[in-house]
Amino acid sequence: MKAIAAFILVAAGLAPLKWKFERSIDANHLSSDVLHHAIDLRERVGQTAFIAILGGFRSVVADLLFIDGHFAWERVDWSHLLLRLRQVTMLQPHVTMFWDVAGWHMAWNASTAALNDTSLSVAARRRLQREYIELGRDFLERGVANNPKNPKLYEALARLYRDKLNDHARASENFLRASRLPGCAAYDERSAAYELSYCEGREHEAYDYLRALYDRGEKERLPTLIARLRHLEEKLNISPTTRIPAK
Amino acid sequence: MTHTAIHISRVTKVYRTPFRRQATVALRDLNLEIAPGEVYGLLGPNGSGKSTTLKIILGLISPTRGSVTIFGRDNSVVAARREIGFLPENAYFHKFLTGAETLRFHAKLCGLSKSKTTARINELLAAVGLTDAGDARLSTYSKGMLQRIGLAQALIHDPKLLVLDEPTAGVDPAGSRDIQELIASLKNRGTTVLLSSHLLTQVQEVCDRVGILHRGRLMREGQLQSLLGIENQTELILENASPDLLDGLEQQIASTSARLIVRRKPQASLEQLFLKVTESTEE
Amino acid sequence: MITSLRRIRAIAGTTLIELARLRVFYVLVLFALVLIVSSTFLARISFQQELQVTKDISLGAINFFLSLLAIVATAQLLPRDIEDRVVYSVLAKPVPRFEYILGKFLGVVGLLAISLAAMSVLCLVVLHLREQSALHEVNRQIEQLAPDQLSSTVRVIHTAGVNRDLIAALVLVLAKSAILAATTLCISAFATSNIFTITAMAMVYLIGHLESIAREYWLQEHVAGWPKRTFLALVAFIFPDLQAFNLSDQVIGGVPIPAHLIEQLLGLAAFYIVSYILLATAIFYQREL
Repeated sequence: MKAIAAFILVAAGLAPLKWKFERSIDANHLSSDVLHHAIDLRERVGQTAFIAILGGFRSVVADLLFIDGHFAWERVDWSHLLLRLRQVTMLQPHVTMFWDVAGWHMAWNASTAALNDTSLSVAARRRLQREYIELGRDFLERGVANNPKNPKLYEALARLYRDKLNDHARASENFLRASRLPGCAAYDERSAAYELSYCEGREHEAYDYLRALYDRGEKERLPTLIARLRHLEEKLNISPTTRIPAK
Repeated sequence: MTHTAIHISRVTKVYRTPFRRQATVALRDLNLEIAPGEVYGLLGPNGSGKSTTLKIILGLISPTRGSVTIFGRDNSVVAARREIGFLPENAYFHKFLTGAETLRFHAKLCGLSKSKTTARINELLAAVGLTDAGDARLSTYSKGMLQRIGLAQALIHDPKLLVLDEPTAGVDPAGSRDIQELIASLKNRGTTVLLSSHLLTQVQEVCDRVGILHRGRLMREGQLQSLLGIENQTELILENASPDLLDGLEQQIASTSARLIVRRKPQASLEQLFLKVTESTEE
Repeated sequence: MITSLRRIRAIAGTTLIELARLRVFYVLVLFALVLIVSSTFLARISFQQELQVTKDISLGAINFFLSLLAIVATAQLLPRDIEDRVVYSVLAKPVPRFEYILGKFLGVVGLLAISLAAMSVLCLVVLHLREQSALHEVNRQIEQLAPDQLSSTVRVIHTAGVNRDLIAALVLVLAKSAILAATTLCISAFATSNIFTITAMAMVYLIGHLESIAREYWLQEHVAGWPKRTFLALVAFIFPDLQAFNLSDQVIGGVPIPAHLIEQLLGLAAFYIVSYILLATAIFYQREL
């Protein structure tokens, strides 16, 4: 009896300490939010996977689902792939690779496959292609929202706007955002300028940008940059004295 | 001031099993006093409370009521156990260790210095007759060898008090005799020994005093002779007596108030026969 | 009570030998199989993905096998000693029960550390080989890539491969399994069978990963009614927060783990272990042997 009373007393003293300690760690933890908000996971991933997730194997479950998605891709089963990608990104929202791959599968692979699907009418193919591109865009936008500090997803989003939606303004915007983050690719800033140069009505802005890059030195003076710069010099009627020297 | 080796005062032990209303009383109001240098035998059938008594002395279980002191020190203090060596009943020890490793492990537990340990191990292996088996794993040991390594383990730190739970159980008569001799030699060196047994004959030769436990009570206690001796009878054992002499004696007895109860040839015990046979073949 | 390091070391050492002889290392063979099978499967995916997923699955498998080892190996230590009566000859010596428990615990931690080292080496070797072959592939394609594109690809491969945070995550996996071992000792100090201990630990494992939810609900007073609140408070108090030690997300995501988080987590692990070891000792003191 005495021992039990002593235990309860010690416990009462220790409990707040324990909780304070654990909470301060929680605050530093990147992934702690996921479980707290995703109890309805069970309906989405099934009983076994759910228990594994609760047991601390969220990342492994995500990987297995991802691999299953990969096989779905090899079978050309787009709806199954989409389901898996949604589950994977929900389980691991902080793994940028999953968002990146999800966006790429939808906007590039699935959309192209839809366009080449001869069993559908041309109108239906176009509509389906458009829908898959939108799905890809949605993945990347959500990926960016979950990982605002990772340049990779901005780059992927920029490519999608550039190659799939022909939206040069948005492409430029996203390349620019990527270029301001640590770990960005060296071509991000140039790409932002190139994309800007295609935007109707923003030629002056684009010219200043490209010229500033040109003036940084040899390293930036790549053929595409020079070509775009020449094009804008013509278009904007820049005086010959300020134009870049001809080779 | 000299203390008694073991002093047990009014110890009661009640085992309560959870979910069962009835509690088992293993010991009732036990009083026991063992003097330094004494060899004390605790006798009783299985379940009489012998093991419980030993475990309480060693502090492995705590008594429900009452107190125990070892050389004047409360036995719940860890330091009290420095003076005790213990051989548990049917001890197995770690099967994966060799005999020498087992002793080394226990030497470390007792805080023996490294330099002393090796010499002590060799000494003890020789004392229990396991010098050749010292580097074999315990998994290859026979019951008797295990019992002997157990005894060595109990002696590793040269304790003042040795507690043996059924030391001769499962050991053949020769081994049993060796153990008794070892106990006798320890007694000569002044070690106090407390041993328990349910085989009465095995203890009678080494014990100064015995106590008989039954259902948790100490029924009898005292020196062996006084416990076993029949007050009004006398035994004569003669060698080379002629039949005439014996007849004469019988006639003489008949003329007094004394009565001859039995006249027979003394028989060797099976144990003595065993020892005689095995000793002769060994040589 | 004077604690003796020599005694604790003797008990820990013997425990380690005992465990090593129990063929628990078969678990490691199983691990190797998982790793090899999964990595051959994964060779079908692109390099960056393959490296990340291999790392991810290896970490998950190490986490799983080490936790399993911690629970199963610890669960049978005390019952076995009691059954073989080793515990009598040990505790009849001047050995406080605290030292006995601590020695057993340290023996298990030794086993866990060795197993972790073996699994990590295996995993790092596989990762390194994969990384090298990825880099080799990049070098082969070198003509097709612009120089800055090349450097960024190489960097991606490096982040996906072996790095400092991977080591940190492995250390935390060890911390987590040590907590599980201490908890198992607690339960086996009063349990009467191994099955009970292992079943109870399976529950502790699962609930331990949900402890943070119970704690937050209790602290934020979301739940009305004292029976529920008491239940949550009990869960939040008794169980360790195991989820906190899963840093694999960060590692795989390539998000750097802040050093102070690692320190905090190691501190929390020490806090849990000391608490559970003391509790196990207290329970063991009460136990009739």
